[in-house]
Amino acid sequence: MSSTLLWITPLVPAAIGLCMLRVRSERMLSVLDVGSSMTVLGLAMAIAYKVIASGPLTAVGLLRADDLTLVFLLLVGLLALVTSVATVGWIQQEIAKGEMRKESLRYYYALVQGFIATMLVTVLADNLGILWIAMEGTTITSAVLVGFHGHKQGLEAAWKYIIVTTIGISFGLFGTVLVYGAATHAQSGGTAGSMNWSSIVALSHLDPSIVRIGFIFVLVGYGAKAGLAPVHMWLPDAHSQAPSPVSALLSGALIKCALLGILRFHTIACHACGPAFSERLLLIFGLISVVVATPFILVQHDLKRLLGYHSVEHVGIIALGIGFGGRLGVFGALLHVINHGVTKALAFLIAGDAISRFGTRDIPKMRGYLGIAPWCGTLLLMAAFSLAGAPPFSIFISELMVIRAGISAGHALAVGVFLVMMVVIFAGLVHHVGQIVFGVADAKADRSPESRWPLLGMLTLTVVMLLFGIYMPAGVNRALVRATEVVLG
Amino acid sequence: MSAELATRLIDDIGALLLVTMLIILASGQLFRAIYAVAAQSVFLGIAGAVLATATGNIDLWIIAAITIVVKAVLLPWLLIRVVKRIQIRREIEPVIPIPVTLALAAAIVVLSFHLSASLGPVQHAITGHALPVGIALILLGVLVMASRKKALTQMVGLFASENGIFFTAMAISQGMPLIIEIGVILDVVLGALVMGIMVLRVRSSIDTDIADLESLKG
Repeated sequence: MSSTLLWITPLVPAAIGLCMLRVRSERMLSVLDVGSSMTVLGLAMAIAYKVIASGPLTAVGLLRADDLTLVFLLLVGLLALVTSVATVGWIQQEIAKGEMRKESLRYYYALVQGFIATMLVTVLADNLGILWIAMEGTTITSAVLVGFHGHKQGLEAAWKYIIVTTIGISFGLFGTVLVYGAATHAQSGGTAGSMNWSSIVALSHLDPSIVRIGFIFVLVGYGAKAGLAPVHMWLPDAHSQAPSPVSALLSGALIKCALLGILRFHTIACHACGPAFSERLLLIFGLISVVVATPFILVQHDLKRLLGYHSVEHVGIIALGIGFGGRLGVFGALLHVINHGVTKALAFLIAGDAISRFGTRDIPKMRGYLGIAPWCGTLLLMAAFSLAGAPPFSIFISELMVIRAGISAGHALAVGVFLVMMVVIFAGLVHHVGQIVFGVADAKADRSPESRWPLLGMLTLTVVMLLFGIYMPAGVNRALVRATEVVLG
Repeated sequence: MSAELATRLIDDIGALLLVTMLIILASGQLFRAIYAVAAQSVFLGIAGAVLATATGNIDLWIIAAITIVVKAVLLPWLLIRVVKRIQIRREIEPVIPIPVTLALAAAIVVLSFHLSASLGPVQHAITGHALPVGIALILLGVLVMASRKKALTQMVGLFASENGIFFTAMAISQGMPLIIEIGVILDVVLGALVMGIMVLRVRSSIDTDIADLESLKG
C-alpha cells in the first residue's frame, strides 16, 4: 500500500496532463490544474508521514523515498500547488493582454503538468538511470514552456537552454555510467539492482579513482542543470523568458532537483574516497557562482534577469554549504534549498504581475508599484529583503548557518569573499527593487485591482518565508536533521 | 567468441568511432557530418552486437538493434529532413579554423588515454579501451558544438557525444539495465524532435538560424 504512493505521485500529474489535451474549457483546465497539484501535495504529505513514521519506502525497485527525498518532494509539491493557484489569475491577465491564445491553453497546462511529473520522478528516483531520464525529461518539457510565447527572445532562450543542459547532463549520464561500472566491479558480477543509489551507497569498497572521475562528470553535468557557474549562462535567459509561473517552478523547484542529483553522488563519493574531494569541488564551484553572479546583479536592468542571476548566486550558496561540510553546513544548505525555493518562487510570481502592469521589464521604467498594487508591492519589498539575506526572513537563518559552518571548518578566505559579495548584492538588490516599489507610477500603468488567486498563492509563500525566519517548527527541524544524516551517510 | 577476440574487436571499433568523429570535426559540409554521425552509430550498433556475442547477454542484442534503428537511421533522417526544409547553405562556417580544431582534438584524445591509464584495477571491469575512447568522444562532441555556431551542427555534435556514452556504457561488464537504455534513447529522440521543431519555427518566422540569435546579453 505505502509503496503504491511512490509511483502514484508522479502518475497523477502525468495522467491529468494527458487528459488536459482533450479539454477545451478554460475553467475546466484551471480546475484540473489546481486539483492535480493539490493531489500531488496531499500524496507528498502522505509519503512524508509514512517515511517519518516507519523509515524509507521503496517501490518497483526503481523509486525510493527517504528523509532527504522529503525535503525536495514537499518543496516541489508546495510550489506546484502555489503556482497552480496563482496561474488561475495570471492566465486571465495574459489572455486579456493577448500574450496567450485561448486555443493553446490546453498545451500550456498539459506541459506544466508533465514538467511537474518529471520533477517528481527526479526526486523519487532511487535508480540513478531513472534519475537521469527524468532529469532530461524536465529539460524537454520545460524547454518547450520557455519558448511557449513564441517570441524571438523566448525561442533563443529555449534553444540555449535545451542545447546547453542536454549536452551538460549527458556528462551526468557518463558520470552515472562510470559510478555504475565501479559498483558492478565492486560486486564482482553484479545484479540488475546495482544501479540503485541505496545499494551503491551500501557497497564497501568502490574504486576511488573511477568514482572521482565519475563525480567530476556528474558535477559538471547536473551542475549545468542547477545553474552552477561557469555553466550558468543559459539560466538568466531561460528563467527570464519563461512565462512567470514557469519561471517560479524553474528557479524554485527544478534547480533544486538537480542539486538533489549532485547530493546523491556526493554521498557516494564521500563513501568511496572520503568527503574532502567532493567537498572541495563543491566549494570551488559554489564560490565561483556567487562571485560571477554579483556584477550581473548590480548592473541588471531586466527584472526577471535580475532574479535569474540571483538564483545563480543562491545555488552557489547551497553548494558552499555542502562544500563547507559538517552537520551544520549540510543542514544549512538543505534549509537554504527550502528557503530559496519558496522566496524565489514568490519573487517571480510578483515580477510577473509587475511586468504585466507596467508593460515593460526594464527596471528604470517601473515606478510606484506600491501605489498601484499595495499588496504585491509590499510582498515584493519583503521578498527582496529576504533574498538579500536580511532578518527576520528565512534566508538570513540559512545563510548564517552556512557562514558558521565555513568558519568552523577553517575556510576563512572563502567566508570572507562570500561576505563581501553578500554586502554588495544586498545594496544592489535593495536599490533595484526600491526603484520599482517607490515613486509615482506612470499614467500608462495598469491600475486594475489585484486579483485574488495570485495573492492567495503569494501569501502562502510569504507565511512560510516568515515562519522559517522567526520560528523553526520542531518537526521540520527533526526532519532536516535526519535528512542531513542521509547526506553524510 | 573468446574474450581476447572481443577485446580486440572493441578496440578496433573504438578506433573507427574516433575516426568518424575526426571526419565530423574536419568536414566543411553539413551532409557529410550527418552521414559521418550515422556511420558512427552503425559502428556503435556493431560494437553492441560484438559484446552481446561475447557475453551472451540478450539485452545487448536489443540495445544494438535499437541503436541502429534510432541513431543510425531515424535521427540522421530527421536532420536531413530539417536541412531540406529550411534549405540552408550546405557549408559549415567554423568559428575556429579547422586545423586548430584538429590539433585540439588530438590533444583531447591523448589526454583521455592518459587519464584512464592512471586508473587502478577497475579497468578490468571495462572491455578494452572503451573508457578512454568514450571520454574522448564526449569531449570531441563538445568541441564540435563549440567550434560550429549553427543549430544543426550543434545537434550533430550532441549526437556524436552521446555515442561516446553509449559505447562506454555497453562495454562496462554487463551493460546498463535494458529499461534504462530504452528510457535514455526515448529522451534522446524526444529531445531531438523538440530541437528540430524549434529550428524550423525560428527559420519560418524570422528566417535565421536559431543558434545565430543573440539578443539576450548581460
